[in-house]
Amino acid sequence: MRRLSDRWLAYAMVLPVVAAVLAFVVGPTYDVFSLSFTRFVMGQERGFGTLVNFRALFADPLFTLVLVNTAIWILGGTLFCVLLGLGVGAYLARDGRMPTALRAIILLPWILPDVVTAMAWKWMLHGQVGIIGQTIQAAGLSDQPISLLGDPDLVMWVLVAVVVWRKMPLVALILCAAIRSVPQEHFEAARLDGANGWEQFRYIVLPHIAFSLTAVSVISMIWITAEFTLPWVMTGGGPANASQILSTYIYQQSFQFFNWGVGSAMSVINLVMLLGIVSLYLYVVRRSWRSGASA
Amino acid sequence: MKRILSEAAFALIGIVIALFVLFPIFWLFLASFKSGDELARLPATFWPAEPSLAAYTDLFARGSQSNQLLDWPTLIGNSLLVSVASTVIVVFFGTIAGYAFSRLKFPGRDLILGGLLVSRMFQGAALLLPTFRLMNWLDLSDSLFGLILLYSAFGLPFATWIIASGLREIPVELEESAMMDGASRLQSMVIIVLPLATPSLITAAMWHFVGAWSEFAFASILIESTANKTVTIGLASFVDYFSLEFQRVGAAATLVALPILAIFIFGQRYFTRGLLQGAVKG
Repeated sequence: MRRLSDRWLAYAMVLPVVAAVLAFVVGPTYDVFSLSFTRFVMGQERGFGTLVNFRALFADPLFTLVLVNTAIWILGGTLFCVLLGLGVGAYLARDGRMPTALRAIILLPWILPDVVTAMAWKWMLHGQVGIIGQTIQAAGLSDQPISLLGDPDLVMWVLVAVVVWRKMPLVALILCAAIRSVPQEHFEAARLDGANGWEQFRYIVLPHIAFSLTAVSVISMIWITAEFTLPWVMTGGGPANASQILSTYIYQQSFQFFNWGVGSAMSVINLVMLLGIVSLYLYVVRRSWRSGASA
Repeated sequence: MKRILSEAAFALIGIVIALFVLFPIFWLFLASFKSGDELARLPATFWPAEPSLAAYTDLFARGSQSNQLLDWPTLIGNSLLVSVASTVIVVFFGTIAGYAFSRLKFPGRDLILGGLLVSRMFQGAALLLPTFRLMNWLDLSDSLFGLILLYSAFGLPFATWIIASGLREIPVELEESAMMDGASRLQSMVIIVLPLATPSLITAAMWHFVGAWSEFAFASILIESTANKTVTIGLASFVDYFSLEFQRVGAAATLVALPILAIFIFGQRYFTRGLLQGAVKG
């Protein structure tokens, strides 16, 4: 009897959270899927069960560029985030005053609001008086003030650099924790065997942190795929759509052009991508999930 | 000799990392104390030639150029209201649910908890359009109450998870002995468990506050009237007006960053608590 009432008590206690997720995540997900198969005429819903939105999307000449930019954004961002995070994490994991001090401040870029980050970089990248452009000019690499955010060939890579600056610290800190959990005896044994720094890293550290490294790579990919504010506030997809990625194009089509059909079709594509990456993540952490342990 | 060289290289790498991390933030902060003329001058000066707080006072002074565009006291008030209210809601319901997830056995428990966490990974640009429709349907767009509701719903799963893992670390025996002595479940939860779980409640509250204060995407599609704008929307639109007067943008950005910095500095102990596990789980 006691157990049965416990069960209903438990369901009642978790109800608010479950209801919130159903109403604000599951419901909207269903809604956007059904929207994407709905025909819109002059902003009015006219009939369900059509692929017209996806056809319109794939016929949009801009969409290819958006896909290429999104690939640069997600793959480039994740790759550099993890590589740089691994390097910085290895440094942070060392003993000493410098690494300890850095561990305390490194998260600053990660915790500041996206919009603040965007302002800081907009200021450094300012086309006329930005410090980065000035430095490039002073170094003799350009004979006029240079606007990196205004250059269609470079703008995507500049955005990647900014998102790496923002997301790398947590990757570094997680990998730092993983590296510090390598038992000291392993290093001593390796040193006795005459292994140099690189060999110690390659044969002792890397196998030990392989799990954390995989998990954190997939997690970074989820963060970067879902990220919208930073690219939107920095460039708004410009110049001339040169930095338009899936998330910014969803925003533009849905809320500036009120093209809900195409907007919802792209949202569905974005959700399917996320679903793929999240499944990959769940597969990677499947063993630690049950035990409640984490990377 | 070789040892000194390698130590110097070690220190140098540290300095490069510190510069990389801090310079962009510090550079904008410095700009907020310079004058518009100084910012337009080439080459750039590092320290402000004539440090001034004008950019900050302009944000609040009625009739000044900054204040005419956006009423910063209103923006700050709105952001505070939304962040604090949703934090209270999230911690309250998160504690109740966290207790159930950590203390009670019921069919589907692990599945539901896992589902909650996974749901968090989907809150991004893909949900902007359906959320806009939902909030319109509820007649809650362009309303701070609507934002509070939305942020609470988005923040609850993670808060629940942090609090549930905090509660799991508290021995069940403490409660059992209290209940043996005649305390009800509610009494033992409030009197015995909650005080011990305070650190995880603070962690959850901080994480949620930071997220709510920083949120931009959903606020920007939902809020239309000037009276309901939050600081992030204000800051994002502010930059469009001041192409060369970045001291104003810098001052506003510093203001927006201030509560987050305070939490980062004074709450670091709590903040990093759930971080390594929590962030990895989504």
